[in-house]
Amino acid sequence: MRLLLVEDEEKLARLVKRALTSERFSVDMALAGREGMDLANTYDYDLLILDLQLPELSGSEILRRVRRVNPNIPVLIVTARDAVSDKVAHFEAGADDYLTKPFAMAELLVRVKSLLRRGTARRENVLRVANLELDRLTQQVRRGGRIIDLTAKEYALLEYLMANTDRVLSRSMILDHVWDQGFRGATNIVDVYVRHLRNKIGDEDQKLIRTMRGVGYSIREETT
Amino acid sequence: MNVRSIRFRLGAWYAGLLAVLLVLFGGFIYITLETFLKKSLQDTLAKEARTIGEALLSKVRQTGDAYVVDEIEEHFAPRTTSHFLRVARSDGSLLYQSGNPQDGTFDPLTVTKATLGQPPSWHEERAPSGGKLVLYSMTYTDSGGIQYAVQAGASDNQIRRVLDQLLVSLSIALPLIVGVAIGGGFLLTRNALKPLRQIAGIASKITSRNLNERLPDIHTGDEIEQLTASLNRMMSRLEESFHHVHRFSADVAHEIRTPLAILQAELEGLLDASELSPESRNAAVSALEEGGRLSRIAEQLLEMTRLEAGEMLSAATCFDFAEMTRATVEQMRLIGDEKQIRLRFEGSQVVRVLGDPVRLRQVVVNLIDNAIKYTPAGGTVAISSEIARNKAILEVADTGVGIPHEAIPHLFERFYRVDGARSRQLGGTGLGLAIVKSICTAFGGTVTVQSSPASGTTFRVELPLESNGVNQSPRVS
Repeated sequence: MRLLLVEDEEKLARLVKRALTSERFSVDMALAGREGMDLANTYDYDLLILDLQLPELSGSEILRRVRRVNPNIPVLIVTARDAVSDKVAHFEAGADDYLTKPFAMAELLVRVKSLLRRGTARRENVLRVANLELDRLTQQVRRGGRIIDLTAKEYALLEYLMANTDRVLSRSMILDHVWDQGFRGATNIVDVYVRHLRNKIGDEDQKLIRTMRGVGYSIREETT
Repeated sequence: MNVRSIRFRLGAWYAGLLAVLLVLFGGFIYITLETFLKKSLQDTLAKEARTIGEALLSKVRQTGDAYVVDEIEEHFAPRTTSHFLRVARSDGSLLYQSGNPQDGTFDPLTVTKATLGQPPSWHEERAPSGGKLVLYSMTYTDSGGIQYAVQAGASDNQIRRVLDQLLVSLSIALPLIVGVAIGGGFLLTRNALKPLRQIAGIASKITSRNLNERLPDIHTGDEIEQLTASLNRMMSRLEESFHHVHRFSADVAHEIRTPLAILQAELEGLLDASELSPESRNAAVSALEEGGRLSRIAEQLLEMTRLEAGEMLSAATCFDFAEMTRATVEQMRLIGDEKQIRLRFEGSQVVRVLGDPVRLRQVVVNLIDNAIKYTPAGGTVAISSEIARNKAILEVADTGVGIPHEAIPHLFERFYRVDGARSRQLGGTGLGLAIVKSICTAFGGTVTVQSSPASGTTFRVELPLESNGVNQSPRVS
C-alpha cells in the first residue's frame, strides 16, 4: 500500500510517516502544496493524507484537482480547522474523512485502515461473530441462540462494531456514528455503553468486544 | 400615528411655530392699522376745527353769523360726512351746531360742551349708538380778542368696521395657512424621510451571515447620501473585524494545534518504546494527559470564539426541544447508573425552538454531566422541559451539596472552578458551563442557577419559542 502525505509541519510529517511505516505502509512525504500535487499526478497512490493550510497550494485546491482526475482515491483531511462549515465544505468537495489536530496517532492509523478497507464493510442481513448473531431485518440479537434484549442505542453500537468486525473503531468514530457531536461533553459515554453492552451479551466467558488501549474498541473472534 | 417619529415632531414644531408667528403678525397689523386710522381721523377733525377758526371766524364781524353758518354747511357738509361741528361764543350761546348725522351714531345735543380758554384737547365719549365719539376741542381767539369754542367730532364706527373686517379675514386665513403648511410639510417630510426608512429596512436585514451586503449607493448630495456612505463604511469595518476574528481563530487553531499534535505524537512514540523506566513512563503518560487537556481547552476556547462571533448558527432548524432532551436523558441514564444516580425526566409538552439541535444537545449533556459529577451516590438528577411565560424552559436539578453562595456570580466565567482541585481531578477544563452560556446566548436564550446546601443546585435554561416569530430568533437570515 502506497500513501501520499502532504503536511507542511516537518516534525509532524516525520512522526506520521514513521507511524505509518511501522504499520508497513510505504509513505511518500511532501512538505509543500506544489510538490504534493506533482507527486499525486505522477504516482498511483492508494490513499492521500492532506493538511489544509499548505504553502503554495492549499490542501483544498489539491483535493479539488485530484478529484477531477481520480474520483475514487480515498482522501483523509488532517487539519487544525474544525469549524463545522469547514468540515461540510470538504466532505462536499470529496474528502472521505476528516481528522482534527491534535490527534492520537492510533486514531490516525485506525482511520487510514478504515478508509483503505472502506468497500468491505459487511453488508449481510445477518452478521455473525462467533456465536453472536445480529439480524438487521428483525433487529434481533442472539448469543448462542438466546435472545438478548437491547435498547436502540445499544443495538446501534453493536451493529456498528459488528459491521466492522476485526477493525478497530476509535471512540470519536463511534461517538460520531452512534451519537452526535452534542454528546462530546458526556464523560466517557462510549465506554459506559460498551461496558453495559458487554454485560448484556455475556462477554465474560468468551470475550468478543476488545478494548484497544488509548484508541477504542474492536469486535473479533478469539482465534489467536 | 407614532408621536415620537421625526415626521410628527417636525410637523408639530413648525405648525406651532407658524401659528405663533402668524398670530403675532396679525396682532401687529391690527394695532398698526388701528393707530393709523385713528390718527388720520384726528388729523381731519383738527384741520376742520382750525379751518373754521382761521378762515371763517376771523372775519365773522364783517360777514355776519349767517354767512359763517352757510359756509360751514357748504364746505364741511357735516350731515353727509356724519361729522359733529359746534361753534360756541364766549357767553355760551351757539353760533353753529351740526344736525343729526346721517349714520345716527351720536346725538349732537348730548355732546359735552367745551370750556373756553383751554388748550386744544382730545377726548372720547360714549355715543348712544354704542361706538365712541372722538372729539377735538379748541379755543379760537380773533384779532379783537373775542373767543370762540370750536369743536369737531366724529364716530369711530368706520375704524371699528375696518378693524372688525381685518379680524374676520385674519381668523379665516390663519388656520387655513397653518393647515396647508401642515399638510404640505407632511408630504415634504414623508418624501424626505423615505430614504431613511428604506435604509433602516435594509440595515435591519443585515446580519453576521450577509455582512458583505451594502446599502444601495445614492448620489443626492444631501445628508442621506452622507448617512448611507457612513453606514456602508461602518459595515465594511464590521465585516473586516468579523473576518479578522474568523481568521484569528483559524490561525490560533493552527498555531496551537500543530505543536500539540507533534507533542502528542512524540510522547506516544516514547511510550511505545519499551526501554522506559517506570518513572519515565509515568512522566510521559502524565505529559500526554496534560497535552490532551490542553487540546480540549484550545478546542473549547475556539468553539466559544466562534459562537460569540455568530458563526455555527447556519445549522439552525426548528425542532422539539423537549423530545431532544428526553432522548438525551435516556442516553445518559447509563452514565448515572454507574454512579448510582437516578435520572428523572419530566415533560409532556411539545416545545418547539429554533436552533442547532447538536449545539443545544451539548447544553443538555454538559448540564447533566455536571450534575452527575457533583452529586453523591444515591442522589437524583431531575430534568424537566416545559413552556412557561412564552419561553422554552429546561431545568436540571440535582440533590448535590450545592454551590457556595459567593461562587454563583462567577459560575459561567471561563476557567472559574468552585473546587479547583476536585474539578481538575475529574478531568474538567473549567469551560463546560462557559460553553453552555455561549450556546444559550447564541440562540437568544439565558442560563441561570439557583443553589442551596440543603436542596442542591438547579440550572435553568430559557430559550425563545419558535412561534415567537422572526424577531426573537437568533441571528440567522
